[in-house]
Amino acid sequence: MSTVNVSNLNKIFNKGQTNQVDALVDVSLSVEQGEFVSLIGPSGCGKSTLLRLIANLLEPTSGDVVVAGKSAKQARLDQDYGMAFQQAGLFDWRTVSKNIELPLELKGWDKTKREARAKEMLDLVKLPEFSGHFPWQLSGGMQQRVAIARALAAHPPLLLMDEPFGALDEMTREHMQAELLSICAKTGTTVVFVTHSIPEAVYLSNRVVVMSPRPGRITKIVDVKLDGQRNESTRERPEFFAAITSVREALRAGGGHAHAGAGVEDR
Amino acid sequence: MIARLRAVLPPIVFGVAFVAWWEAAVKIFDLKPYFLSAPSKIWDQFANNKSLIWEATRVSGTNALVGLIAGTILGIAMSFLLSRYKILGDIVTPLAIALNAIPIFVLVAVLNNMYSITSEIPRRLMVTLVVYFIVLVNVAKGLTQVSPTQLELMRSYAAPESAILRKVRVPNAIPYLFTALKISAPAAVITAFVSEYFGGAQNGLGSRITSNIANSKNAAAWAYVLGACLLGLAFYLVSIIVESAATPGGAKRTSGRSQ
Amino acid sequence: MSPLAQRIVRRSSMFVVALLFVAALWELYKVVGPEDGGALLGINILPRSNDRAMPHIWDMLSRYNRPELRSSERKIWRVVLAGAWFSFRLSLVGFAIGTTVGVLLATLMARFKVVERGLLPYLVVSQTVPLIALAPLVVSWGGKLEVFGYEWPRWLSASVLGAFLAFFPVAVGTLRGLSSANHASLELMDSYAASWTQTLFRLRFPSAIPFMVPAFKLAASASVIGVVVAEISTGLKGGIGRLIIEYAREATGDPAKVFTAVFGAALLGLAMAGLVAAFDLYVMRNRPKEAT
Repeated sequence: MSTVNVSNLNKIFNKGQTNQVDALVDVSLSVEQGEFVSLIGPSGCGKSTLLRLIANLLEPTSGDVVVAGKSAKQARLDQDYGMAFQQAGLFDWRTVSKNIELPLELKGWDKTKREARAKEMLDLVKLPEFSGHFPWQLSGGMQQRVAIARALAAHPPLLLMDEPFGALDEMTREHMQAELLSICAKTGTTVVFVTHSIPEAVYLSNRVVVMSPRPGRITKIVDVKLDGQRNESTRERPEFFAAITSVREALRAGGGHAHAGAGVEDR
Repeated sequence: MIARLRAVLPPIVFGVAFVAWWEAAVKIFDLKPYFLSAPSKIWDQFANNKSLIWEATRVSGTNALVGLIAGTILGIAMSFLLSRYKILGDIVTPLAIALNAIPIFVLVAVLNNMYSITSEIPRRLMVTLVVYFIVLVNVAKGLTQVSPTQLELMRSYAAPESAILRKVRVPNAIPYLFTALKISAPAAVITAFVSEYFGGAQNGLGSRITSNIANSKNAAAWAYVLGACLLGLAFYLVSIIVESAATPGGAKRTSGRSQ
Repeated sequence: MSPLAQRIVRRSSMFVVALLFVAALWELYKVVGPEDGGALLGINILPRSNDRAMPHIWDMLSRYNRPELRSSERKIWRVVLAGAWFSFRLSLVGFAIGTTVGVLLATLMARFKVVERGLLPYLVVSQTVPLIALAPLVVSWGGKLEVFGYEWPRWLSASVLGAFLAFFPVAVGTLRGLSSANHASLELMDSYAASWTQTLFRLRFPSAIPFMVPAFKLAASASVIGVVVAEISTGLKGGIGRLIIEYAREATGDPAKVFTAVFGAALLGLAMAGLVAAFDLYVMRNRPKEAT
């Protein structure tokens, strides 16, 4: 059974008004359990919109979203997914531990169970000694790791990520990508990942979904054939470059821009 | 059109409902006049005593205006000194912070003894003092908190301090001055008004309110309160108008921030 | 020493310097100023510098250690301190009522847009009108009004006036704070399917604290002003305002006396401000420190 199933999805903002935007037109996609899928495309291609429709933070104009075999809304109410954003979005007034406990608190977990889980998650993201720190005492990369721990705290089968490493510097970013993959390998979590960066998408994903704007749609899905454990040497393998090239060509073919792939980082 | 209606309608409905509820409450619960007077009674009193209220408003308003102008001029002058000599700023800032917490209007009690009994000077001096510190603190902030990049740029041009003052500091301080004026204008009215409670000539709005209550003419007292509100509102509106006249582009931005 | 402690020490020592400076100016004017006042540019603006209008600083200070009245044994510092304490308690009650009402109103406005649209313009306008004009009216309820069989005490009017002045800045500041929660955090709470109250207490209120504290500072001084004005405009007994009025009347015979009460009012204001400052330090202790 697929974890996410999107069929014939349409999203139109300001329908019938002069500033109508066709954010997504007739989008269908299914993400299998344990799969890592990236959404890539220039600004305005609807990749963030698609992620928010899966998260039920937006309602579709038409079409269906099924998450973990339920309607998107029911999946949100049942907390079947965790979410991470470009800004870590940790609460300044809560310790690292308390930040990770937030979703559990909202679910009504009792204190001891919450604390045990927070400890487990901190071990997972390799920050066990920082549980009593406040977020502003941590570096950007560490904050983002806490945000991932928070997203995974309830052990959801699905992780939705909206450019989570976009605000990090290049070195930290590559390091975080490797960390994310090892976390997912341990937990078996399915991931839908929005990004601007072609190498990031290719390095992380089983499949890269290439989207294009005006109207927002899926133009191509690139299968990344990198078998086995991915590590630093993966970035130098010919298959890696081949996948990057096919994603770049797909972006160029998608058009919508005179200058191909504008807004997509080539790093 | 619909958007404007949505913005204007709720306040109007709330306002009308509030006054109607007030009027009805006074009638239904038979509230005694010493507690609340009905809006209709207050309006009658206001209409009947228009010339008396206007006279009292003129007295309080003049005191507020004189103090506002004097305090603004002195405050601007002092803020230039403050931005020039850092030590002055270090001394004055804690004083200004402390004065913010203190009900300084009680100084009228002292000032009254320093002038002749019927003099309006103590009240005007008090307003001046209140306005002075508001203007001083804000304008000094505007003169000193300029962007470091702009300062570096000017230094790279080898611009003298006087040119930096004219080209960078003063333009930066203008919005702060108008913020100060918007705070000072109502504060001046309030101070002018409270100063009258300390005795002296019984000719302003504040003294009229107390004397009317002393004579159990509460509806009349409310009418003077209405006059006081109109005076405060007038001062505030003028400060906004002055601001938008002086800064054609910037007015919208700064007034937007205060909402 | 922590930077905070350093700043406090530097500011307080500069404050003392400023006070000494003002005192020196005062004494200097007494030397050079005209005994019976005078004109500058045709306006009688120069104050009288004689000892009845402007007593020496040391006379003001030594006055504290002498009895209030010739007939009584009670030193005046006791009387002033008692008056300031009385007014302090009234201000505290006013502050408590005012902030509670302010926070509730702000929450209501944050919850229901239509309430915000209807009420906020009045809140903004109310900042510009001298609500203090209501003081004598509100105080005149005392001793006459009965609420559920209880007689309305006169002192409560003073507190209500303090509350009246205090709740506006709190309502406006809290509302701004409640709507300051950033978009991503709100989306996060949405993704948790959190209810409105859960979001209110776990996200909106904590985000609002940095906006509420300055509002509380304004409210603290506003409640003091409300109480003192109420005392002065109606002669309410027991507080510092009444002492100022009484002592000012005795100024011809005992000019230093009124200053003891004026300084008492200053102390009252500083005490309220100090209370809020302590609260500020407490709630912000775990927040990122901004350089100021």
